[in-house]
Amino acid sequence: MATARPGWSRRAQYGLFFSLLAVIAGIVVGLILLVTSMVAPQAFERIRGAALDITGPISGGLHEVTATAQGLVTGADDYWDAARQNGELKRERRAMLQRMVEAKAIVQENRELKDTLKLREQTHDAVATGRIVGSSFNSPRRFAIFSAGARDGVREGMPVRSPEGLVGRIIDVGQLASRILLVSDRTSIVPARLLRTGIAVIAQGRGDGTVEVRPLEVGRNPFKRGDIIISSGTGGLYPPLVPVARIVRLQDDGAIAIPLADPSETSFAVVEPAFEPAAAETPSDNSSAAP
Amino acid sequence: MVRAALSPPKRFGQGPSRYALFVPAVTVVIASLLSALPIVATSGWFPDFGFLALISWRLLRADPWPAWWAAPLGLVNDLFTGYPIGFSIALWSATMLVLDLIDRRTMWRDYWIEWMLAALLIAINGWLQWRVARAIGADLPFTMMVPQLLISICVFPFSAWLISRLDAWRLGRR
Repeated sequence: MATARPGWSRRAQYGLFFSLLAVIAGIVVGLILLVTSMVAPQAFERIRGAALDITGPISGGLHEVTATAQGLVTGADDYWDAARQNGELKRERRAMLQRMVEAKAIVQENRELKDTLKLREQTHDAVATGRIVGSSFNSPRRFAIFSAGARDGVREGMPVRSPEGLVGRIIDVGQLASRILLVSDRTSIVPARLLRTGIAVIAQGRGDGTVEVRPLEVGRNPFKRGDIIISSGTGGLYPPLVPVARIVRLQDDGAIAIPLADPSETSFAVVEPAFEPAAAETPSDNSSAAP
Repeated sequence: MVRAALSPPKRFGQGPSRYALFVPAVTVVIASLLSALPIVATSGWFPDFGFLALISWRLLRADPWPAWWAAPLGLVNDLFTGYPIGFSIALWSATMLVLDLIDRRTMWRDYWIEWMLAALLIAINGWLQWRVARAIGADLPFTMMVPQLLISICVFPFSAWLISRLDAWRLGRR
């Protein structure tokens, strides 16, 4: 197709013309698929899952390699100043023991109080445990690749959390791996509240690793720097009382916060069943669904 | 090109590689697969490797693959990178078409023109990604895309150099 006319050969001219038609057909098919995947993201669930089964294990394997290499380096580093670390750890241990006794007493007291209130705690067992092995590092969206899939019981819509806090929720599932919509993605909206005052807020991702927090009710800006945001469980997608983010900067009508569970630092993450299963089964709005 | 073909081979048994026809397409697939690297980033600043490889090949040669191959290659990129399916299919096919039209119009080509063309294509790619993300509900300011665009544009000469070396290797012209 480089030249306008390949010569007098009819065959070459037709070949050129048909390759032009084929490219135009490619554009049309691509546009149709694009519109389909924007309007009805569920249409390509199967094929996206299959692709995850190819890339997920690759990411996982490479992740193991880099983690091992890092481990060797830090391991050697630890040997280097073992004596100083040893002293520090001993000091820390003594302090921790005291704190632990206090904590045990508090737990005991808590249990007694709950018994008197006849509160029953809903306990959720973890569906699957895995690692965050990759991410969408070349796209404006914020996704992460998770090393557990349908084989481990992971289903679409399930929330993912790490020991530090909420990571996000599952949007694509393959047999061996799955894709997480991170809390910091623009389409992720977490109903939450301020830990200090209990005011209901909404945490929406900003696409650059931070989240934007706004109070539900208009009024005075309730945030302070260093405030912790926890999930409220409203809507039923995310479980309540999971730490979400810490406020770092105030704005006119809200604040900017950094998710407590940094996906690049998180070693293990846990998939939990949807808090209210009905919420995950019917993806209510198009905007929060997969791309 | 003709001159290279007419000149006597420097060493015997050094023709094009047996899979020379497929090397370009395979390198594009491998570039798409780079998105499986275990990098967990909180910002999307890395270039779209598949697209970089595609335009590097296409700017180097008019015929790295039959033009319609852009569609399946785009599908592979969509699947591996997690873009909405259809995005790369349409964009990559359109890129092939546009570059054919440009090939007809331009009188001469040099490194600067190629780099400018590549920068333009990369910017269009980024802008469209941003538009599609917006249409899906990820309403971000465009300034968020700027670092990725600048990095991609700066990486392009390296990618073009790498591809030209690969091209020399696949044709046995080392």
